[in-house]
Amino acid sequence: MTPFDFSIPINPSALTLEMLVAALGLGILILGIISPKGARSGLGWVSFLGLMGIIGVAITMWGQSGELLAGMYLLDNYALFWKITFMVAAALVILGNMRYVDKVGNQAEYYSLTIFATLGMMVMASAGDLMTLYLGLELMTIAFVILVCLRKTDNKSVEAGMKYILLAGMSSAVLLYGLSLLYGLTGSVIMLDISRIIAMQPVSPALVLALVMIIAGLGFKISAVPFHMWSPDVYEGAPTPVTSFLSMGSKAASFAIILRLFITALPGVWENWAMVIAILAGITIIIGNLVAMPQTNIKRLLAYSSIAQAGYIMVGMVTASEAGIKGVMFYAFLYVFATAGAFTVAAYFYNVTGSDELKDYAGLSQRSPLMAAVMLVALLSMAGIPPLAGFVGKFYLFKTIVDGYLWLVFIGLIMSMVSVYYYLRVALVMYRDEPKDPSPINVSGPVTVTLILTMLVTLIIGIYPGPLSEVVNSAAHSFFLH
Amino acid sequence: MLTISLTHYVVLSALLFSIGLFGVLTKRNAVAVLICIELMLNAVNINLVAFSKYITPLDFTGQIFSIFVITVAAAEVGVGLAIIIAIYRNRLTVDLDNFDWLKW
Amino acid sequence: MLVEFAMMHAWLVPLLPALAFLVIVFLTRPFEKLSAIIAVGSMAIACVIASFAAYGIFTNHEYTKTPLVYAAKWLSLGMPGVTDSLMVHVGVQLDPVSAMMMFMVSFISTFIFLYSVGYMKGDPGYSVFFAYLSLFGASMLLLVISSNLLQMFVAWELVGLCSYLLIGFYTHKISAREAAKKAFVTCRVADFGLLLGLLALQITFGTLNLVELGEKIHNFQEYTSIGMLTLIAVLVFIGPIGKSGQFPLHVWLPDAMEGPTPVSALIHAATMVVAGVYLVGRTMFLFHEVESAMQLVAVTGAFTALFAATIALTQREIKRILAYSTVSQLGYMMLALGVGSLTAGMFHMWTHAFFKALMFLAAGSVLTALHHKADVWEMGGLIKKMPITGWTFVIGGLAIAGIPPFAGFWSKDEILVATLAEGHYVLFAMAAFTAFLTAFYMWRMIFLVFFGDEKPENHPQESPWTMTVPLIVLAVGAIGAGWFGTPWYNVWAEWIYFGEPHHGPINYGAMLLSIVLAGSGIYLAYTMYLKDAQKKRARKLAEWFGPVYRMLYNKYYIDELYLWFNHALVDGTARLFYLFDLYVVDGLVNGIGTFTKSSGDGLRVFQTGRLQNYALIFFLGVLAVAVLVTFTGPSAASLVLGGVK
Repeated sequence: MTPFDFSIPINPSALTLEMLVAALGLGILILGIISPKGARSGLGWVSFLGLMGIIGVAITMWGQSGELLAGMYLLDNYALFWKITFMVAAALVILGNMRYVDKVGNQAEYYSLTIFATLGMMVMASAGDLMTLYLGLELMTIAFVILVCLRKTDNKSVEAGMKYILLAGMSSAVLLYGLSLLYGLTGSVIMLDISRIIAMQPVSPALVLALVMIIAGLGFKISAVPFHMWSPDVYEGAPTPVTSFLSMGSKAASFAIILRLFITALPGVWENWAMVIAILAGITIIIGNLVAMPQTNIKRLLAYSSIAQAGYIMVGMVTASEAGIKGVMFYAFLYVFATAGAFTVAAYFYNVTGSDELKDYAGLSQRSPLMAAVMLVALLSMAGIPPLAGFVGKFYLFKTIVDGYLWLVFIGLIMSMVSVYYYLRVALVMYRDEPKDPSPINVSGPVTVTLILTMLVTLIIGIYPGPLSEVVNSAAHSFFLH
Repeated sequence: MLTISLTHYVVLSALLFSIGLFGVLTKRNAVAVLICIELMLNAVNINLVAFSKYITPLDFTGQIFSIFVITVAAAEVGVGLAIIIAIYRNRLTVDLDNFDWLKW
Repeated sequence: MLVEFAMMHAWLVPLLPALAFLVIVFLTRPFEKLSAIIAVGSMAIACVIASFAAYGIFTNHEYTKTPLVYAAKWLSLGMPGVTDSLMVHVGVQLDPVSAMMMFMVSFISTFIFLYSVGYMKGDPGYSVFFAYLSLFGASMLLLVISSNLLQMFVAWELVGLCSYLLIGFYTHKISAREAAKKAFVTCRVADFGLLLGLLALQITFGTLNLVELGEKIHNFQEYTSIGMLTLIAVLVFIGPIGKSGQFPLHVWLPDAMEGPTPVSALIHAATMVVAGVYLVGRTMFLFHEVESAMQLVAVTGAFTALFAATIALTQREIKRILAYSTVSQLGYMMLALGVGSLTAGMFHMWTHAFFKALMFLAAGSVLTALHHKADVWEMGGLIKKMPITGWTFVIGGLAIAGIPPFAGFWSKDEILVATLAEGHYVLFAMAAFTAFLTAFYMWRMIFLVFFGDEKPENHPQESPWTMTVPLIVLAVGAIGAGWFGTPWYNVWAEWIYFGEPHHGPINYGAMLLSIVLAGSGIYLAYTMYLKDAQKKRARKLAEWFGPVYRMLYNKYYIDELYLWFNHALVDGTARLFYLFDLYVVDGLVNGIGTFTKSSGDGLRVFQTGRLQNYALIFFLGVLAVAVLVTFTGPSAASLVLGGVK
């Protein structure tokens, strides 16, 4: 049976989520055209509520499993968990940054592109073949490119967009070349078939080349060193809400697809890629944390910290086991909340003061205790300080590699200590220094909700990880059922 | 009589990819870099079509994949050119060496 | 119906005060009245739930054999189906012991909270005080109903924290701050032992669940040797030594009286300090298997009882006398557990909670009336001006001295009988002599404070109703709490026991002895401190036994000993290490720090901002990864380097 035999009946209800999200995005676009300029700030609420509704629908679909089109599109708890994660990330970004977007203008484009990017991620989570993978990836990337240069009169924003599209285009060419080789070697684009055929063949140099190019192409998306060079610049130049979504959504989606590709399609050559991933993870952790130390711009600091975080998450891939997948998903989920908290503070702060410089955060604890507290909790969680969520997440990740990759655990530990240095530097500035302008910052309602939500989730997952761990267990388990 | 085999296609594709890569690394003009990226993508397309013809002649997986690639590449170029125009309006240049405001 | 609900939702009991804590801290701190109402109200509701649950437990004999346990998973490490994964639960275990304790703690807490409403009036930290009290109540109740030792340990540390906060509540007083620190550090030392013990239990038996542990330790030979089990028991016992103020870690408890009086009553007399006794009672299955550990418990208990009683003879501050009597009574409880009688130990804990809380609160009432003048020699004749406080205190005194039919008599008698029945004659003699001393020093205090001549410089006044009502309620308890366990009709022993309930013959001899001892103690105090208005005999006695008196007054110089030890040994070593730290470790650390920072700066240079440099690095990365894959993958390396297989 070929994948393009359109006589196979498709069950359209299996694609409910994707269709709903697409409809939401198109709807926002149309609403943006027909609604008067003054009413467009309401689009944020429409998108937020729409996403919340779709998340509700998604939760009812828990437990669903199956394949569409002979394995091109996979439906399982694993994909569903990621989809929910992406939508939660999008909803948090939208809820926390409405004022920022209103200031920039172009609300309709912003919200619909955010939603289309989410759609791309969701396609990636379910992708069961190389084409779907590529389409999802590019849908997400192109939407992000436009979002990055949303402030089109701002030099930095456009420069970031330029760097992003050229480097992303180049990296997708590399990825595609790898994928085309994989197709040439196996004669199939369906991951499940690929894994079957690869298991029967000896490892050829062409396969090694394909593997290298795929690692490079996808490593670019998760900003693994040395493919990370774009991310600090793009993170700094992009509008802060976009940076926030880029660092959680794009990264999480890329991890979703990497796990799928490497563990579903390429388990046969695990010996060939495991050590490479481990070494890349180690380098990523080291470089990300070291370069974060001298940063003075909060967004750039967070960018390097998110590179380091990607390194931690990569650790979970090394063993290609259920426990590792669980660790990745757990960490990605809590990382969404920590990142949303930190970036929402940064965006709101920029909104009020027009600055991203760390030195301007002096005395933030006096100006807005909530913002300072959320920033602190988010950063400490990323540093892995108990009892915050990041600690549990890192624990799950590193537990999988204690046997056999002790050196990597060691690197992780040392670099976590290093990371405390720059995270606490932010805390010090916020809590110890006297503010230059002591006027209090009033945090608006939706932002308050976002901030408190991210903080609470970070705390609760840290103290009581049980339920999330259960959910993630079930999701990771469904991964191997195809 | 020289018959064209799969190897020829793959070598051609590799050459094209390398040329594109060289261009990406050396050209200073943003538009040229964009074109070089297209070259790399077309190298991929040659690969896909060739594999489709020689390895899975019965179904058109590779061809269809390459059509997707062409479509997406068109979209990418569209966005890329738009950005280049935007940056030209701001900075009156498209020389990549000038775009280093964001660094360190 | 209601009973059923209360039993299945016993977790509400600690949850309510915990919520009160949160609400007061985050919302109602500026509104003092409201904070007090929330604290008292939540504890009262918790008490009602606890009463219903206790009623449910004490009407069904099933629960003495199989406790009611329900738990939720807290966290699990490892994947489902993997056998060695660690599962941690939070749960409730209700059996007669925990139900009794839950009721007692919530009941006494309710009245002490109520008392605090009056006592703390006008204090700047009024709301905060109630927040801390609520947190303490929540932690203590959590400790009581815990179904596993890890959860218990968490609560154990929480009560320790609350104790620290509350002892040091008067932050402006240096002595209070010092006392808080002392209490915290001393208990932490002990907790370390407990923690080690718990870890050893988890490693050896793979669980910290009380029920499972009970079963596994019963057949401990399958898991470990008797030597290891002894070590575990001793380690576990170190925790209670600290928390329940047993010798030699009792030093913090008398100093803890620097806290507000309700705190002394609640934490350092009725509830927290008995946590140690409770823990030993809870882990009886462990101690029961190890003969030597039992003896250690018994001897520690008996010695502490006697030792603290002798110190109490000479103390002058009203709350200090009570503190040492608490230490002494805790010794009694440990003794009872050490001779294997969970019944007697828990019974004394129950009665003690009532009369000791009563006496502390009454003492607090006295202190308020006399504007915190604490020396008993400067008081006198207070009973005329403060009849409720005075007479309730007298009831407490009768109870602790062991005069029938007051509560203390029955429980103390039970301990004496149990000790005798086990054949520990020396311990029995120590306990009996302690009973005599207890009666003497308690009544010395009562005669000095409430009877005799009034001092003209004092202008005492009876306290408001919020303070006297708890006194009266607790006085009723101090009278009647012991009637559950009389030798003729011993309901207590039918419910709370370890192993099998046992009914020994009624030992009239021991009963008579304890009455005689108590009576003579009171009489001696009467002749020395009341009849003899000039207290000549007392003074002469002190002169005759000058060195002994001074030694007792200075608490055997144990604090000084610890201080010396600290100065000479700890500080000396610390200085040495400080220098090492300053020059060697700091140098190393700073070096590493500087290196790390500068490497960060160095690596930053690669981030040039030039797009094409990034692209170049990307492809160099591809190249590097290609090399990596070639050399790290086993088959690929052989393929590329060694030709086709």
